[in-house]
Amino acid sequence: MEALLAGNEEAVRTLYARYARPIFTLGLRLLGSAEAAEELTQDVFVAAWRKAARFDPSRGRLSTWLMTIAHNLAVDRLRRETGATRPHLVLVDEVPEVIGADEDEPLIERDAAVRALESLSDAEKRLLARAYFGGFTAREIAEADGTPLGTVKTRLRTALIKVRRANQDKERP
Amino acid sequence: MTCLEVRELLPELAVDTIAPDDRTEVERHLRWCAGCRKEASDLGQAAAILAYSLPPATVPQELSERVVERVRRATGTTGTPRRARTVASAITAAMVAVASLGWGAVMAGRADRFADRAEQAQRERARAIEQFQKALSPLSLGTDISTNDDAHLGQLAPVAGGTGGAAVLQLVSPTMLDFVFVIVNGLGDDAELLPYRVSLSNAAGQELRAGRIDELDAHGGAEVFRQFKTQDLTGFSTVTVIDASGEVVLSGTVDQAP
Repeated sequence: MEALLAGNEEAVRTLYARYARPIFTLGLRLLGSAEAAEELTQDVFVAAWRKAARFDPSRGRLSTWLMTIAHNLAVDRLRRETGATRPHLVLVDEVPEVIGADEDEPLIERDAAVRALESLSDAEKRLLARAYFGGFTAREIAEADGTPLGTVKTRLRTALIKVRRANQDKERP
Repeated sequence: MTCLEVRELLPELAVDTIAPDDRTEVERHLRWCAGCRKEASDLGQAAAILAYSLPPATVPQELSERVVERVRRATGTTGTPRRARTVASAITAAMVAVASLGWGAVMAGRADRFADRAEQAQRERARAIEQFQKALSPLSLGTDISTNDDAHLGQLAPVAGGTGGAAVLQLVSPTMLDFVFVIVNGLGDDAELLPYRVSLSNAAGQELRAGRIDELDAHGGAEVFRQFKTQDLTGFSTVTVIDASGEVVLSGTVDQAP
């Protein structure tokens, strides 16, 4: 990290080799174009350097931290560009389930993620997808579904906790 | 906001659909509430797992060069004039070393083993202390912080999507005058943001002024040093940097545990 902070090329490449792909993938999904996803990827690495002091390995993994930055920057960008109070994202009905069989560099994080999502019901997957990939607020989901707001918030929390717990279980030897 | 109100909003914070006003309130609460912070961390990690579930896209080959170049430009290593003063160089090195606590092991690919990570963090802490010692030597404080158990380190992180960071060294000693040394980097240099104020506070909400930053260097950096002749800094472990409008831009704590 010291090397990254100093702009050391090798350090940046090391970090890039491990995390650029999932970051670019998220950018492509949220922003909708390769060009925007490329810009986002660059922004994430610069932000990682600037916010390095904020990363605390005792509170979470580096992969999580980087992806949180990526999602936050993507959402900010959409809000700026659309002037909307929430991002206008493409709604995906379900969290993808397929792992590419031809993937040459499978990421441990993604395998674990897909397995963790198996703990969710279809309704929970759809709820998380609408919020995380679709940018829909709990209130909007509640109004669209005719469900009480408190219920939507509770379900959102429950689904996130289930994912987290399932992921922890998978990480245990 | 109460913990109950905050926890109701944490799922939306995790998926970035929280309203801006609520985000500000929640993040303010998280600064001091460890319980809610833990819950926010857990939910944030769950949200990140969703991102990793996406089928991977093909990354353009030339992107890596552009990323390297962007980081290189951002770090100012392409010819940005460096300050020549020895003390300033040592301070910058200390900032880098402290900011990297815990990261070095990750970068070296050894993060999987906690023992390795802890060992690496310990080495980097010793190195940061050493750099601080060099920076402080012209001040003739008459103490060697590298061997002093009363010297404590901390880091400040940006608040509300800001940039920059800071390293903090506190000496909280029963026998010597306490002092605080804060090194900031990457702060915004817009005229309306200056001067920045650096303050210390304790759990009871008492506040002490540590200093004021009237100008920044080319990297948004500056340093503040204050020795307290009568005040004991025990408990004053929360450090904040506040801009001219009163907004907190950096915040963090110093671990004063022996």
